[in-house]
Amino acid sequence: MMDERPLTDGTIALLNLGAQIEAVEAEVERGRATVETRAGLAELISLRGLIVGHIADYEKAAQIAEQLVDDAPTDARAWVARARARAGFHRFNDALDDIDVAERLALDVDTANGERAAILQALGRYDEALAVREKAAARQSSFEHLAALVGLYAECGDIEAAERLYAESLSRYRGVSPFPPALLDFQLGLMWMNEGRLQEARHSFGAAWCRLPAYAAAKGHLAEVEALLGEVDCAVARLYSLVMSSDDPDYAAQLARILGDAGDASESRHWRRLAAARYEELLARRPEAFADHAAEFWLGAGADPDKALRLARMNVAVRNTPRARGLLAQAIAATAKGVRA
Amino acid sequence: MSDHISGPRAIADPVIDITDLYAFPCPQSPQHLVLIMNVFPYAGPSALFSDAVIYRLRVRSASIAAGGRSFAAAAEESVFDCTFSGAPQAQEGRCTLPSGEVVEFRVNEEGGGRGKGLQIFAGQRSDPFFLDGPMIERTIATKQLAFKQVGSDRLYGKNVLGIVLRIEWASLLKGGPMFAVVAETLSGGKRPVRLERVGRPEVKNVTLGAKMFDSVNRDLEIRDLYNDEDAFNLSKSYVGAYRARFNANLAFYDGLDGKVDWPLDEHGNHPLTELLLADFLVVDASQPFCERSYFEIEQAMLEGRVHASCGGRWLNEDLVDFLLTLYINAANGPPIRDGVDAPIVWSSKVFPYMAPPNRPQPPAS
Repeated sequence: MMDERPLTDGTIALLNLGAQIEAVEAEVERGRATVETRAGLAELISLRGLIVGHIADYEKAAQIAEQLVDDAPTDARAWVARARARAGFHRFNDALDDIDVAERLALDVDTANGERAAILQALGRYDEALAVREKAAARQSSFEHLAALVGLYAECGDIEAAERLYAESLSRYRGVSPFPPALLDFQLGLMWMNEGRLQEARHSFGAAWCRLPAYAAAKGHLAEVEALLGEVDCAVARLYSLVMSSDDPDYAAQLARILGDAGDASESRHWRRLAAARYEELLARRPEAFADHAAEFWLGAGADPDKALRLARMNVAVRNTPRARGLLAQAIAATAKGVRA
Repeated sequence: MSDHISGPRAIADPVIDITDLYAFPCPQSPQHLVLIMNVFPYAGPSALFSDAVIYRLRVRSASIAAGGRSFAAAAEESVFDCTFSGAPQAQEGRCTLPSGEVVEFRVNEEGGGRGKGLQIFAGQRSDPFFLDGPMIERTIATKQLAFKQVGSDRLYGKNVLGIVLRIEWASLLKGGPMFAVVAETLSGGKRPVRLERVGRPEVKNVTLGAKMFDSVNRDLEIRDLYNDEDAFNLSKSYVGAYRARFNANLAFYDGLDGKVDWPLDEHGNHPLTELLLADFLVVDASQPFCERSYFEIEQAMLEGRVHASCGGRWLNEDLVDFLLTLYINAANGPPIRDGVDAPIVWSSKVFPYMAPPNRPQPPAS
């Protein structure tokens, strides 16, 4: 981690995020909240969900956003809130439609394009996303614009550009909240992991986790890297704490895989059953949102390649990214192997 | 809202967002001056001060400048820096006095900490500010006075994190008895960077926030630029932009009653612009405590008379009614009211002055 200006302690920052949510929720419950306040609440709850790994928070934010569009259909902020919630659950085309509506309702072009760029990136339409992000960063090289570009370069695998801009974006960060720098470190960690550079990945995920000890995805990926580096005990300890705090089955799935690989079949079976049940539950509600990670699970610890293949196909139909194509190729290979056997 | 949510940076992180600054002679002991800085609008019960922020109060001796239309603040200043620990269970604070002495205290401890000539409290309190915010927004959007006889207080039942300093001014401050006071939040570290600053109430939101009347910078979100500035030394690069925004928005308010009470000068400057650009609270510590004294020193100066009160700002003053009346009819007409005349609970005249935090309100039936 480069060290810049001090940031608010991660535990305090998370408590303060909770304090904001509590106060705004009370305002909403009393029926006194404006559209802006309610859209802001959806954002805050989504951020908490992202940090602590609570799918229930995403659901709550989505409900607020849906209700907001019903209550204020002529307000662009309501449609943007719903677009973000829908994109979070991988309903990318619906999200793009919502941004179109918001733009017709006078959302300014730059904001609309920024929202679209995030969705296009998730869809794997990197060139289109890059055009928007590069233009925004050229116009104003703020932390926000540069960090968005870092995330995009990292996902495209442009390591040199991502690394260079990472340092530049952090140097432009003026706040004291640890959330934006931690999210940036996490993006970089994913890039290193995709490149198979595990030490660098460990460093970036570790930096994100140090800034925000409750950052579930950073801790989970750190555990994954540690397991790959042979530090199984450390990885398992991290994952045990995550399965207790998060309602995301990814951590139970990882724990099942790592424990299985380590020869602890009985404990692995326990976590595999839990993960499978939770994935089934989530897939029944929001298949497109969880197809990706569920396919990965059934390809590995879940040991059901046919189910993995169905889900991987669904995932590619939702978003044709390199990761989605890679997962499909693995699923096809696994089923072919199963047929041959 | 007074200085709540006053720009993109403050919106992104409420822990740096200064909501209000108050300065008044202690009601019970005139040898003390009380300075209060509130942060974190809409603070829920778990809200804490950041351990990465310096919460700073700057005090300079002030006098009326030659010509009698503005203040001269001394170059030397007295700085009180409050910082907080990162231990969420029992947060502790440290206040560094101008002498370098450090006073330690525990957050939310009613009696606060004590040092030589100083008593300090920091913790969650009821937000003392009150206003009908949506009707101010509607007034701006419709260019018509939108206030109702009975308004709705946007801050009703809300809490803030407050820092209260009761200072023996003759021993701890340089100069006086008239002082200029500014509150700031700064990022910590070797080279602190200013994140927010507040002097007078409702400068950034009510006075500078609206863009549409400003023909020079119609698209500019000016508030974070303004936050960056040293209140005692505005940068020459941007002062023209602030002046244009003040002139445009003050003229808008003046026109709301259909008559001009504040004629602009030959350069298009509003009579209050230069005064408000010097954005600090002015308080006379030699005068007795007074419940309604905000801007009295400034008004006396503009009228060429000697001020008759302590000025500064007391917690319970109906600031919004005062400002609306000042801006719209210069007190030449009937008071302009926003229909909200009290907070959920009044502040007291006993340390730490602000009322204890409100409990979460049950949903409206």
